[in-house]
Amino acid sequence: MHSVARWTLAVVGLTLAFTASAAKDPNEKAIKARQAVMTLQSWYAGPLFQMAKGDMDYDAGSASVYAMALHTMVTVKGDMMWPPGTDSDAYPDKSRTLPELWSNWPAVGEKGQALLDASAALAEVAGDGLDALRSKVGAVGQACKGCHDDFRAD
Amino acid sequence: MEGYRREAVWDPFTRAWHWVLAASVITGWMLGEFRTFSIMQWHIYLGYLTGALLVLRYVWGWVGPAPVRHRTLLASLRGMPAYVRRIGARRPSGVPGHNPVGALSVIAMVLALTAQVVTGLFSQDDALFYSGPLASEVSSDTVVMMTGYHNLFARVVLVLVALHLAAILYYLVWKRENLVASMWHGRKWVKDRATRGE
Repeated sequence: MHSVARWTLAVVGLTLAFTASAAKDPNEKAIKARQAVMTLQSWYAGPLFQMAKGDMDYDAGSASVYAMALHTMVTVKGDMMWPPGTDSDAYPDKSRTLPELWSNWPAVGEKGQALLDASAALAEVAGDGLDALRSKVGAVGQACKGCHDDFRAD
Repeated sequence: MEGYRREAVWDPFTRAWHWVLAASVITGWMLGEFRTFSIMQWHIYLGYLTGALLVLRYVWGWVGPAPVRHRTLLASLRGMPAYVRRIGARRPSGVPGHNPVGALSVIAMVLALTAQVVTGLFSQDDALFYSGPLASEVSSDTVVMMTGYHNLFARVVLVLVALHLAAILYYLVWKRENLVASMWHGRKWVKDRATRGE
């Protein structure tokens, strides 16, 4: 009985230790942080795209607020959220970032800048009417897509 | 041509269907591959068109004329070994319908396109904020998976189209039979029943 109790304790202890260490893994924290930024960007961008598509009534006030919030989320300093070793090979169920991201830094930077430019342009005009919103929203989608196509796992 | 007769093989519906499907798939693929926010809706419309055409083809395979029946296609596969042995011969196949490799290609193409349409219904492009009509009905993990398959099957379809065109070219240049014209006017070189051994 003693040995059973000891084994049980050991298993429970190890499980707790692993769980605790997983939660403290700085790489996982970084993955969660950047996914949170993505989630917020998507959350702010969503209504703007829906308005542009006609799936939601255009409202100048909220369009302007959403576009400015989106641009703010794009300007979030994110470099430290992408430490090397946090790719989809190292964290298959947690990260969808392809390892290529870390071997293509100039290209990644250009794509980031493209999104920054697009979201700035959108924030400037989103409150100026539906046509103005429509004229700038596509470039934001294209910038998101440009990075997803090359650096995100299916 | 010695031992061959010119016969009306492809019915008007099948011919029209083939060319509309080709246009729909090629345009749909391009609009998907080079999608932007302003054209994405058209990719979805072409997916619906392709889906409708596939349904028609399944029905036509039950009620249509002999050369395009499901049963004929499956029966044609049984002639595969004999057909492949003589595939290098510089003469038309003489089959009054799809030759065995062609039948396999039709089946593969229809199944791949069906998979493409079905996965498309559950896919999303979260950069352009477009999604298939049923994506909201399933979990986000399923949507990610379906989108992955949708991207994968797009490549499968491309490969099948390339093989299809290569086979047409092979027939035109090597086997001296213009199958493109046959799919246009419906007439095809068919071996006389005597030479077919029936």
